Amino acid sequence: MLNAPIPAPSHPETFIEEMKRYLHFRERDSELLRKLGPLLSAHLPEMAERFYAQIPHHPGAARVFTGGDEQVQRLKKTLQAWGSGLFNGIYDEHYADERYQIGFRHVRIGLDQKYVISAMGVVRAFLLQKLFDEFPEREERLAYSQALSKILDLDLNLMCDSYFRATMSHLQALNQELEHASIQLAEANAIKDEFLAQVSHDLRTPLNSILSFTKLVLDGLCTTPQEEKEVLRDVFSSGQLLLRLVNDLLDISTIEAGKLSLNLEELDPRAIFDSTLPLVAVQAASKNLRLIDETLEQDLPVVLGDEIRFRQVLINLLSNAVKFTSDGSVRVRAIAAPSAAHLRFEIEDTGLGIPIEKRDLMFEKFVRNNSKAQRGIAGVGLGLAIAKRLIEMMGGQIGLDNGANGSGSLAWFTLPLAKTSVTSESVQV
Amino acid sequence: MALPDSPKKQRIIIVEDNALVAKFFSMALERGGGYSCLITEDVPAILEEVQAGLVDLVLLDISLTSAEWEGRSVDGIELCRILKLRSPRRLPVLLATAHAMSGDRERFLESSGADGYLEKPVFDSAVLIQRVRDLIDGTRK
Repeated sequence: MLNAPIPAPSHPETFIEEMKRYLHFRERDSELLRKLGPLLSAHLPEMAERFYAQIPHHPGAARVFTGGDEQVQRLKKTLQAWGSGLFNGIYDEHYADERYQIGFRHVRIGLDQKYVISAMGVVRAFLLQKLFDEFPEREERLAYSQALSKILDLDLNLMCDSYFRATMSHLQALNQELEHASIQLAEANAIKDEFLAQVSHDLRTPLNSILSFTKLVLDGLCTTPQEEKEVLRDVFSSGQLLLRLVNDLLDISTIEAGKLSLNLEELDPRAIFDSTLPLVAVQAASKNLRLIDETLEQDLPVVLGDEIRFRQVLINLLSNAVKFTSDGSVRVRAIAAPSAAHLRFEIEDTGLGIPIEKRDLMFEKFVRNNSKAQRGIAGVGLGLAIAKRLIEMMGGQIGLDNGANGSGSLAWFTLPLAKTSVTSESVQV
Repeated sequence: MALPDSPKKQRIIIVEDNALVAKFFSMALERGGGYSCLITEDVPAILEEVQAGLVDLVLLDISLTSAEWEGRSVDGIELCRILKLRSPRRLPVLLATAHAMSGDRERFLESSGADGYLEKPVFDSAVLIQRVRDLIDGTRK
């Protein structure tokens, strides 16, 4: 746990003034350094050599020097330039700013400050030794070496502070990422909770009806056999609804766990239509709806898909159309554009239709178009979510549109054409 | 079982958006309790009967889908307040809900002013009838 307060990193401008005060760095020190410069400048190339002999000596630091000799030569020049600046420098914000870049650069490439500090130690020892050679006299030697030590201390402090600052901002960025991730996790968790609450509600509702109506019959509260039959019909349809929900839930969880495997093969849409439409025709007939197959006269190209899942999606869209249409018709058609790689299927009804703003939402889990006109129509709100995932897994697309005359809705999906049929003559309505 | 044409049949309005649940309430109360029931979410129609003093109890679901009052949808809690305010006599209201949380119970009862609470699901018509009978009798004391 990070409970201890972390000191706020200082600003380079204020930091350098603070350090100067702290180290008793005065104008006299600047003067001494300026005099020292010409005497030591001849040694700067050797200083750079020593520095870069030291740093790659550590395996942890060596891996950073990936630019080969060229990179090292360039860095040596930079270091020499720093050396000249050290002697005749104006130790101001600009100087501080430049030294503050070091930590950020090194933290970014993963170079530990300990290697740089030890190399700077080598530099210090080297420069002091050269200074001693120049000034045999004790007083002079002391004054000059003190000035040099102060500026090197100042420099080291600036560098160390920049590592700290860089590490802090790195951590802050990391923290933000973590915070973001944790918010996302919480959101996902809330969605899951909502999903669970919805599922348990949806499972209980038909189950409760089954239990309460069964009890009604058992208690002898139905007065006629007809009434008993009617109640049993409700029990039966509740059971069917429950079964459908359980199947849908298994489907969606298998799909979302990535465990649904498809058996993709070449399929003749004609055969699928012929075995599917009669199932829906019964529902349509009971509502006096016309179920019109516009593909009867067509030569349908072969598509690529999973037979069971293709049929499942088709039944789902067809029964939706029948369910939400009280009179008129449900039409099925197939459209193969001349150079398209997909066959498009359309199911158009003359029913309630779905408002534009709700269309995309309809493919989400448990979303129902809860308009007033639709109340009392049983459904669990998983069918379209499953259909979308299945169709996408088979390489197609799915969507909702207006019916042709503005009312009703048009559900469509596409399936990829089998390679054999792409070359064959395309079929148009 | 009540006599088929008893003029003294007490009247219950059932406001419940799930058709099957409403049907169960109605059948249980009519057959088992001898009450006369009306299933509706039509607020003006409910009010008309309530104001005429024709209603002995209202069985109210908390979450409603199509109940509207003055141009906006209302839930069972709000509807309960509306009915209580406009009833010429004391009108017992039984609040039915699936929110089976003990904390919610008090909150719902208090904010709605309902007389009792019915935790769904109800499978046993005898339990339902007993709850209804107690509430109706309570107001006759």
